[in-house]
Amino acid sequence: MKKLVYDIISKLDLPDITFSDVRLTSTDRKFIYFEKGILKRLGSIMDSNALGIRVLINGCWGFSGTNDFSINSIDKCIKTAINNARLGSKYKINKVKFFPIDHSEINYIYKPKEDPFLMDDEDIISYWKSIAKKLYGEKIVFSYAKCHFYRQYKIYANSEGTVADTIVYDTLPSIEVYASDGKQVMSRNFPGHMAAKRGGFEVVRDYHFPDMCEVIIKEARELLKAPTITEERADIIIANGHLALQLHESVGHATEADRIFGMELSYAGKTFVKPEMLGKYKYGSDILNIYSDSTDPDGIGFHPVDDEGVPGKRVDIIKDGVLVNQQSSRETAHRLGLEPSSNMKASFGDDIPLIRMSNLCIAPGKGTLKDLIEDTENGYLLDYTKTWSIDDNRNNFQFTTEIGWKIQDGRVVGIVREPTYYGITKEFWNSCDWICGPEEWGYHGTFSCGKGEPGQAMHLSHGIAPARFKNVVCNVRA
Amino acid sequence: MKSSYADFFAEIINHYQELKIAFSFQDWGTDFLRFFNSEVNYNITKDNLNLKAQIYKGKRSYSFQMDSPTEQDIIQTIDNAILLIDKLPEDPDFVDLEDNMETVAEIPKENNIEKVSLARKINILKQISDAVKPYDYNIYGTFICNYCTQYIINSNGVNKTMVNSPIMLELKAMSQKNDVTVISSFGGEDINDFNLENFISELIEKIKIARNDIIDVQPDNYEVILAPSSIGQLVAYLVFVGMNAISYDKRQSYFENKIGDKVFSDIITIMDDPSFPGLISTDYNSDGHIYKKNVLVKNGTFKKFLVNNYYSYKTGMVKNGGEGQCLVLDKGNTTLNSMIKGIKKGLYISNLHYMNFINPKETSVTGLTRDGTFLIEDGKMTKVVNNLRYTVKLVDILKNITALENVCHIIPNSGNYGAFSIKSAAMPHVKVSSFKITSSTETI
Repeated sequence: MKKLVYDIISKLDLPDITFSDVRLTSTDRKFIYFEKGILKRLGSIMDSNALGIRVLINGCWGFSGTNDFSINSIDKCIKTAINNARLGSKYKINKVKFFPIDHSEINYIYKPKEDPFLMDDEDIISYWKSIAKKLYGEKIVFSYAKCHFYRQYKIYANSEGTVADTIVYDTLPSIEVYASDGKQVMSRNFPGHMAAKRGGFEVVRDYHFPDMCEVIIKEARELLKAPTITEERADIIIANGHLALQLHESVGHATEADRIFGMELSYAGKTFVKPEMLGKYKYGSDILNIYSDSTDPDGIGFHPVDDEGVPGKRVDIIKDGVLVNQQSSRETAHRLGLEPSSNMKASFGDDIPLIRMSNLCIAPGKGTLKDLIEDTENGYLLDYTKTWSIDDNRNNFQFTTEIGWKIQDGRVVGIVREPTYYGITKEFWNSCDWICGPEEWGYHGTFSCGKGEPGQAMHLSHGIAPARFKNVVCNVRA
Repeated sequence: MKSSYADFFAEIINHYQELKIAFSFQDWGTDFLRFFNSEVNYNITKDNLNLKAQIYKGKRSYSFQMDSPTEQDIIQTIDNAILLIDKLPEDPDFVDLEDNMETVAEIPKENNIEKVSLARKINILKQISDAVKPYDYNIYGTFICNYCTQYIINSNGVNKTMVNSPIMLELKAMSQKNDVTVISSFGGEDINDFNLENFISELIEKIKIARNDIIDVQPDNYEVILAPSSIGQLVAYLVFVGMNAISYDKRQSYFENKIGDKVFSDIITIMDDPSFPGLISTDYNSDGHIYKKNVLVKNGTFKKFLVNNYYSYKTGMVKNGGEGQCLVLDKGNTTLNSMIKGIKKGLYISNLHYMNFINPKETSVTGLTRDGTFLIEDGKMTKVVNNLRYTVKLVDILKNITALENVCHIIPNSGNYGAFSIKSAAMPHVKVSSFKITSSTETI
């Protein structure tokens, strides 16, 4: 496959092509899905090959992708990418510009402890069947247990001489139960909305699902008769099963530089962030430090180079509460006068690269979750995302979690159902007065961050520890 | 791959008599122009061959997908599945694959990727950007043509071919002074239905309204006019989570035990109707069942759920093959102007963003307005309003509709992931007596 990529790059060595790159991916996926204890779906998507060619001609991008690797198809793909750029340049005012980058040659292979693609399928079925059979009981009207295994081989090469080939493994397991009293339905899932991690079947084992089945069944039943939050405002502690999404939506997407220029306005939206805010804007409280780190191989967002040849790097986005940088491409970094942050990613070879979060993390603070609860006089601990919504400027968000725990005088005194809070991004992050320490910090990832047209679902992760936010509006109802 | 995909898949099915197999094979391509700031962002072309297969042996099943597969790949994968399938647990809910044999007459469809060339798209966009430039607006969006041939073949004799070539132009014009955005769109299967002159003049009218002052409004219940795109999204969410057999089976449907009940006022009729004029057509559902009109709500009375083959067996409901791909909210008898004139203080909501369910069973959702929210005062649109958050129950919105426009507009929407699909809905403007705004975004 490498030869195919080299051949394409050499065919793109034409006078009017100022930059070109080629992505080739071969992706394998396995999935298993039990519903109400019954195996409903076992399947695979193997050797899903995709190739994309991107060229820059007269300041305009052209792209063509295919999953047909025959000679005729590849030649057509090359011709189409070139034609798309040449024609497009006739409707291009501000030409795409960026600085060259030294070439690099990289080979990276991630080795999981338990490779799900080498495991006996019967063992995988047997494990999940035993979990699915536990998700039963009084008032439980629906349940699922599922897992998605992913392996991707990628070759990236560009006209600057950079070549990288990588193999990664990601795993996304999840269980959920729905309890009903005939009037209401309450759900509880585990391990939360962002349960994906880098690795193989060991990711599944590390979550200790057999121990969690009873816990979520009990909580789902109790939620049916639990009260809702009555206060207009309250101090809230957000635990890791939800905080990753809060970070993702209100900092991650807001600091993608393509949104500043309206490149994603049509679908994903804009951002309230403006170029002049960099270095000045007090995004959060002094204890807030947020960075993008594609160099950490433990996170799903790791890469040796991104999908336009920028080496992986760690970049501060928010330093001591101040917005200092953006997640950028080479093009947008040039427009902003910044160094590219190594955040251009394409989900598959036949997708265009977009500015994407890699491992976007909140730096840990101090103390355990127990310490934080004990320090809270009145408030709520919220966890496990149920609903999420944010405006197209990434300024007004509203989240509902599946469950909340009421805290009084430093102790948990009961649960609340469907706690819903809303906030404005700047006010919210400036109200953060505690971030737990390294002992509570970990990666939480997703397979399905949607962005772009045509749409792409990206794998990425967030490093987080539970945090407290003061005086948040927390009683919103339909 | 052999020259005739249908024949090849039929041969495989015939070869594996001990199995029940369902194939869905797509030969799909898109020409996708992304534009921003009144210039090209990317020209993207993608071609894709994708096979989805479901194999059953008795009540045991295995599924797989392949991109650009060879005959050998497919046979090898099935042979591997046969080695595994006897060891799998059974699905007692499975009875049989789709057996609906009805077909529609094949009408040749032009390939709009060829018909609407990139040069033609650019020419159209240049004219629109020139028209909005004097107002200091630029254009952003996508201009897409797809061409897809889908083969749906199974062991019960279902053997159907469906060709689609939808066109979608979704265009937002944004003020370079204050970021106020307005939206216009075209969706269909024939570019001759696209009237550039009308498209530009309607866009300019919206821009003129959008040049008024920008204000915030307080959280409250407002009388609102929902533009076709807005009510279309609300109806689609309600159908998706309330009116299909999957949500019924999960016990999440508001409409559980409500067939025959009066759920809305007489003026509300909701259909899933592929024959509705102007809609992007669908001949078959994903199982190969013929796609026909299904009336879900008739004059306010809930009539039926959308039921596919699998959930028909599982729930005992009559199969109708509907998937909500061609939703229609029946028009009313009033004009948009008279609807606006009748409002003393209210809002016009052009489009919605990032809606999600809080509680599916009670149909509560939250989401935001975008692309032009306007204050209505004494029967006129007077000011631009910052984008707003609403937190509502979908059934309450439908219950609170007091008037429907006397025309349905075709609203295209994109599936956006995988094989990028383009569908459409037909919706009128609607007047809603009470719509709960719960906060402002403080941004436009």
